[in-house]
Amino acid sequence: MIPALSRFVEALRREGIDASPAETVDATRAVEHVGPENRERFRDALRLSLVKRREGLAAFARVFDAFFAPPARGRRDRKGERSTTGAGMRSTGRALEATVRPGSAPGARARRAAARPVLPASIRSDIERSPRVPTRRIGRLREAALAPDGAPSEVSRSGAAAERPEYRDLTRPLPSSEERALAATIPGLVDKLRLRVSRRARRARRGRIWARRAFRDNLSRGGVPFVLPRRAAKLRRSRVVLLVDVSFSTARATGFFLWMASAFLALGRRTRVIAFVDRPVDITSEVDAWIRGRREPGVTRSAVSTRVPGAGIRPAGIGFDALLLSIPHLNLSAPSDYGRTFHALLRSRMRPAGRDTVLVVLGDGRTNRFEPLAWSLDEITRRCRCVVWLVPEPRGRWGTGDSALPEYLPFVDTVVEARDLSGLARGLDTLLRRA
Amino acid sequence: MANTDSVTPERIEEWFDHNGFVCTGQVATSLYLAEVLSKPVLLEGPPGVGKTEIAKLWARFHGAELIRLQCYEGLDESRALYEWSYGKQMLYAQLLREKVGELLSGAGDLGSAMTMLRGQADGFFSEDFLLARPLLRAITSPEPVVLLVDEVDRSDEEFEAFLLEVLSDYQVSIPEVGTLRAARTPRVILTSNDTRDLSDALRRRCFFLYIDYPSLEDELRIVEKRVPGASASLAERIVRFAQSVRRAELRKAPGIAEVVDWALALVAVGAESLERGTLERTLGALLKNREDLETVLAELSRHR
Repeated sequence: MIPALSRFVEALRREGIDASPAETVDATRAVEHVGPENRERFRDALRLSLVKRREGLAAFARVFDAFFAPPARGRRDRKGERSTTGAGMRSTGRALEATVRPGSAPGARARRAAARPVLPASIRSDIERSPRVPTRRIGRLREAALAPDGAPSEVSRSGAAAERPEYRDLTRPLPSSEERALAATIPGLVDKLRLRVSRRARRARRGRIWARRAFRDNLSRGGVPFVLPRRAAKLRRSRVVLLVDVSFSTARATGFFLWMASAFLALGRRTRVIAFVDRPVDITSEVDAWIRGRREPGVTRSAVSTRVPGAGIRPAGIGFDALLLSIPHLNLSAPSDYGRTFHALLRSRMRPAGRDTVLVVLGDGRTNRFEPLAWSLDEITRRCRCVVWLVPEPRGRWGTGDSALPEYLPFVDTVVEARDLSGLARGLDTLLRRA
Repeated sequence: MANTDSVTPERIEEWFDHNGFVCTGQVATSLYLAEVLSKPVLLEGPPGVGKTEIAKLWARFHGAELIRLQCYEGLDESRALYEWSYGKQMLYAQLLREKVGELLSGAGDLGSAMTMLRGQADGFFSEDFLLARPLLRAITSPEPVVLLVDEVDRSDEEFEAFLLEVLSDYQVSIPEVGTLRAARTPRVILTSNDTRDLSDALRRRCFFLYIDYPSLEDELRIVEKRVPGASASLAERIVRFAQSVRRAELRKAPGIAEVVDWALALVAVGAESLERGTLERTLGALLKNREDLETVLAELSRHR
């Protein structure tokens, strides 16, 4: 039984279900108790032991059906249900017996079952094929990118400051060469920010003067404050959820922000990155790999169009556009829908929750006239310690057209105008102060 | 009380069904495997789909006591496992002060008094002064118990790690007392509303079952079973309506309990069908906040 189950577990692993050896042992013991005669129970026993997340259930069903073929013929009883005692199920029972107990069921059937490839060719090819980026999506993005690229970039700040890269408006069209020039200033900005953070940390370690204790301690000295006790704030380890809009208009700001934020926050269990256009997708591990220059299996650099925003944002050799295009569930061509995103986030496990959680939203709040569902954000914010919203748009444009920012901002603790790199750095500083 | 040897998935399914709970094959198989392999079961799913009810019925099935540990943010060992009864210790110390004075009167110097005191003082840190919280009660109980760790996703990660340690060995180390081992392994059911991602380590130690909202047929069976006064056509309308409401973008989708409550309310007001007036009067049983009520009623008027 064990070799057959091991092959099944290997097939599950190829589908992304990380079943451990201990779980395989559990599965073996479970099917020993349940037996292979009843296909439903047999499947339940394997599923209960091997799949420990809801996301894996669909993949399990697919692999199970491919691995343990359903009964070819099944008599239907009077109620129209497939009979579990009919000839079809009995034959399935024997087939399963042959598959899971190759040692105990000699004969041609068992040998054929053992020699059969783990998965049919169609499934195998699905698994082996690397995720492809739909050409239609690239086409649309390319079209969108082509038009503004040649247009002259508008600088709204005046004088010499306007020329400085950290004040370049990120919402304006920027060719990737200029993106690269802006990216070159990121290390400097990070260093400045790091200095500010470390100064703050030093002050925090020293603590503030503790007035009540000072009175008490100096009573024996006639109230003259010879001793000034200080009280340091309790060290908190916050969780941070970065909810970032990666639609065309804000993707560039998002790329720069994630790069800067990764210098201060270790992406993982305590810091999650959730990207969205019309629905939230957890991209923490992908962003972490992008920052470290590790190429994720899905990143296909040949499929990357240089016209997609973020091609010049390369912290370790891989462009931000390549990262975005490699994430299969992220529909970059969809119209932004903040309401749906907040609602889906509220309903999902990704929902930020906990008194130590800081939620950062980066986006322009443009919902394409979809329902804003601001109450969803309200529900989310009630479960967080604080919410910081970075708006990569000039303040004058907030609330105009399809922007639903005025509906969302009542539920936000701090709003930062982050239309340029300095704004993003300011937003990050706010986050680090809060976290 | 069920005899453990005679427990089969079919028997569990039948017993649950007989006791008013529509039990799917998956639930029966998970409980059966948890029983025969002595492993905890993690039930995950949206609120109101009957996860806690399964634990209650599982305890009744075995004729065992249900010990419930309700998790919340900030739950720590002292609330979940044990704490010392300081009040009792203080009271005993006060009552025994004279006796202690007598005992120590024989001591020649401070060192020997300390030695004598050290020999006596451990009595205050014995099991007599221990307040057992749910986890310790479940572990030390000589009788069979079902331990329900409810809404484990609400607890902190630190507590989850601690729980993992307890559930892996079913033993607890108390520095002053020693290691307390489970007299008999408790049956453990954990529930999660899926609001936070639980650690892989915890998931791996349990059989995992995701319970979603029931299908139309299953929910109809539940309503027919729990609300016998509802006619077949009314029950079907109720269930169809509830299923469509769940697809809407609401703050809180109605769970099975709410659907049953609503059906009971409709039967109580003598409703035969779902008319607008009846809906407006009774919808509060199904939807539990104002915005959701307004959304659904607005949607209803649009379709009229």
